Amino acid sequence: MSALHRFVAGFIALLHRRQADQELDAELREFLDSAIENKMRSGMSRESATRAARMELGSATAVKDHVRDVGWENVLETTWLDVRYAARTLRRSPGFTLVAVLSLALGIGANTAIFSLINTLMLRSLPVSHPEQLVELLSRYPGEPRLSSFSWRHYEHFRDHNQSFSDLLAVSRARFQVAAEGSEPEAIDGEYVTGNFFTALGVQPAVGRVINGQDDQLGSATAASAVVSWSYWTNRLHADPAIVGRAIIVNGTPATVVGVAPQEFFGLQVGVRPSVWLPAAMEPILQKPSRRMDGTLGVGMLGRLRPGITIEQALAEMRVLDRYRLEDFAKTRSAAFARDFTIELEPAAAGFAALRDRFASSLVVLMAMVALLLLIACTNIASMLLARGAARQHEMAVRVSLGAGRVRLVRHVLAESLLLSAMGGLIGIVLAYVGAETLVRIMLSGREFLRMQQRIVVDVQPDLQVLLFTAAVAVGTALLFGAAPAWHAFTSAPASSLRVHGAAAETRSRRLFGKTLVVLQVAFSIVLLSAASLFVHHLSNLRNQDFGFQRASLLLVTLDPSKSGYAREQLFSPYQDLLGRLEEIPGVRSVTVSGVTPISGAGASRFIRVDGFAEAAEARRYVPLNWVGPRYFETFGTPLLAGREFTFADRGRPPVAIVNQAMARHYFGDKSPIGGRFQFVGSSNSGITGAPPDQMYEIVGVVADAKYLDLRETPPRTIYLNAFQESRMPANRLALRTTGRPGAVAGDVRRIVIEGMKMGAVSDLTTMDDLVDASIVPERVIAMLSSFFGGLGASLAALGLYGLLAYTVTRRTNEFGIRMALGAAKSDISRMVLRGALGLICFGFVFGLPLAVLSRRAASRVISDLRVDGMWPLVLATAAMLAIALVAAYVPARRAARVQPVEALRL
Amino acid sequence: MSAEQKSSSLVQGTLHMLILKTLALEPMHGYGVGVRLEQISKGVFKVNAGSLFPALRRLERDGFIAGEWHVTENNRRAKYYALTAQGRATLKRETKDWEQQSAAIARIMSASLGEL
Repeated sequence: MSALHRFVAGFIALLHRRQADQELDAELREFLDSAIENKMRSGMSRESATRAARMELGSATAVKDHVRDVGWENVLETTWLDVRYAARTLRRSPGFTLVAVLSLALGIGANTAIFSLINTLMLRSLPVSHPEQLVELLSRYPGEPRLSSFSWRHYEHFRDHNQSFSDLLAVSRARFQVAAEGSEPEAIDGEYVTGNFFTALGVQPAVGRVINGQDDQLGSATAASAVVSWSYWTNRLHADPAIVGRAIIVNGTPATVVGVAPQEFFGLQVGVRPSVWLPAAMEPILQKPSRRMDGTLGVGMLGRLRPGITIEQALAEMRVLDRYRLEDFAKTRSAAFARDFTIELEPAAAGFAALRDRFASSLVVLMAMVALLLLIACTNIASMLLARGAARQHEMAVRVSLGAGRVRLVRHVLAESLLLSAMGGLIGIVLAYVGAETLVRIMLSGREFLRMQQRIVVDVQPDLQVLLFTAAVAVGTALLFGAAPAWHAFTSAPASSLRVHGAAAETRSRRLFGKTLVVLQVAFSIVLLSAASLFVHHLSNLRNQDFGFQRASLLLVTLDPSKSGYAREQLFSPYQDLLGRLEEIPGVRSVTVSGVTPISGAGASRFIRVDGFAEAAEARRYVPLNWVGPRYFETFGTPLLAGREFTFADRGRPPVAIVNQAMARHYFGDKSPIGGRFQFVGSSNSGITGAPPDQMYEIVGVVADAKYLDLRETPPRTIYLNAFQESRMPANRLALRTTGRPGAVAGDVRRIVIEGMKMGAVSDLTTMDDLVDASIVPERVIAMLSSFFGGLGASLAALGLYGLLAYTVTRRTNEFGIRMALGAAKSDISRMVLRGALGLICFGFVFGLPLAVLSRRAASRVISDLRVDGMWPLVLATAAMLAIALVAAYVPARRAARVQPVEALRL
Repeated sequence: MSAEQKSSSLVQGTLHMLILKTLALEPMHGYGVGVRLEQISKGVFKVNAGSLFPALRRLERDGFIAGEWHVTENNRRAKYYALTAQGRATLKRETKDWEQQSAAIARIMSASLGEL
């Protein structure tokens, strides 16, 4: 009760500050007058009565201070005063302020940027009800990234038999040609969802209704329904609420819009923003043949745990249910393949894991690096503040002797630190925003490798969490670098002691502290620099390794033969003609076509049986396959080691194959594989079109090993088949080896494709260089950023060293003068300063290098394929740090050498 | 330092009670409260302005007393403090506590071995 009273009264007092002050003045005046009167009544003269009363009252200001201290609002007022005073102080030394704010802005900005990415990709919960109950089903095959894709029939089995989930929903991504009323069709991202999708998530429609179980019944009258996203509704449908009940045309079929999703709901995968959701029961209407009907529609699955069921319990149950899927695999593929698959459950409060899986480890490493960077910035500012503190000792001493409380002085110094970090934080947020956007653009340039065909938009707008994080970092930073100066303020001695110690009462401990700070900066910078050179090394290893093909000057063109008017069975001679005509383009050396593009992250593989090679079923491994046209190896620059390439003349003859060296070595040892025979086993011959299950292939060539799925792998045993021997054309990616820039011939290629394939179209055009770059985005991001942060950290450390040395030189001017007067040469003086600097740097190395070794070991635990046994990243980092530090030390050293003995002695 | 703090906080707590009691007799301005305390205690308690005014402000903030500007007998304006209902209740409670405590203390201080 009285606490509330106090709060309200304080608040009122804050609003009527002047009036309250005046009243207090009047009250004290009245007190004084009454006292005087009283004393006069007892016989004193007016004069002596006044004097006595004044003495009794004491300092009216002090009384007023005491009275003001009663209210809590006074803390606010004095804080405001502290801040204003701090602002004035900082304005008086703009150079210091600028450097401090900028280094804080960079440090805090970098932390905010990385955190906002972590927040968006890993932490932020989906805008659905009780996101913490959601789990994603994932499938793992050893040595490969986790897959979120299951087949529809597996979904149905899990859905109908599980006891763990109150709801199990499935989503299948697709691109649709959608036309709103009166507009042209455009390609948009959409999803087929199960009938329980919206209700299980607890997503309420903004307009109309959501898709329900009835819509998702096969053959339901409402199967052709659609829920559109808020942005599609506002951008394409003019935010018209009357849209509900009208139709949009999806892939040529009308679908009734039944509702609009709420603005904040973007789907279940961060980065992907579907514009339209259709019931899964609409898939058989749009797709012929339907993949839902044959059970192969690829879906991602999300379950909502029943109350009281833990994720471990659910996993135990799913492992049992997963036998259905594995038996299915064993039937359609092989038992060995099925055995290696496992199912996993992962909390999905933040949505599907695909982007998280790809970037989490990089982001964690980067977060550690930016934290270190901020620590360097902190140390730097602490040492600058300390040097200033030495200069302000006099001021502090005077204030103490005038009666300033120690706590008040500390508050003062802290206000200065907080003000600095607040300014740094504000600029940092702006930097972070720009930086994070750029980072996202770079990160998503490799979207093909996320196996997402869709446009990816990652929204890194700073939200409340990010702002809170930044505020916490800024305050923590201020306390960290403000602690030492605050302590000094607290221990300030009054002015009388100044006279004893002299003006430069520079203590030994303070000097040692300053040096320690510089040593720490050097040590931290070494860690950052060695991490940077490690990641750069890692990236260049990846880039410069032997891919087994030449990446430069290779244009890749994806055809969409469905628009050509030819069936896949009829494509062979049009393709042959097309390849011939493309070869005639000036600047094109050779052209080929392939079914699988190396390192694109997608491929096909089968089990095989080689004639005369006995292999236990468990030892069998999947052998990757590619369907290629004639001149494939010439075009890609993969050396042909024995035998011949494919020709168009192979068509209609017994099937032939080319194998790589790894395959030849494994199955044929030292013997030549040419003439060897093998066949595919397992029932899935769907990819090898028209061939009978026991079709034998004869090996006609051996080529060098080349990367298949990914740049990071060792090339697997690989089989190449002639695309022109299949019954349906399995290849639709053209590759052109050019003499000049690949882009230069793109126009001609487009033109010839359109002429040659009638209405056929080029659906995608890229180069192998771009594909390589895109496939190593996480490595590129981490190398680029770690170099940037390493450079920044080293520069800050150099700045710290420079500051300390400059200050030392000024302090020792007197001493240098004496030395010179006694015969020291200029070079002796500067060598002395440099030697001091070198000592500090070496100390930094002593602490920093073991730290660097430890931290890169930690990094290798997070990033699995990082090799950390090399010495030279450390050597390089040390050399770089030494160079930067010596440059920083050189300037003060030269200034020391220029000291004039006479002037110095006069000081 | 700590001993000093203890004694001053004791005095402060007591001072609040004493001021409430003084004002319970009749509403008074700041100087009057000081004089009255000195009179009643026969000069034992001298309260200076540096303690009196913060105490008045605190009591006012807690809602135990309320101040109003009146014209004094000497035709000056002064802020007269009076007890609120809440202040009256507090005084009653504190008086009771005080009586209990002082009686207990008195018993302890006058205790001799024979009585135990």
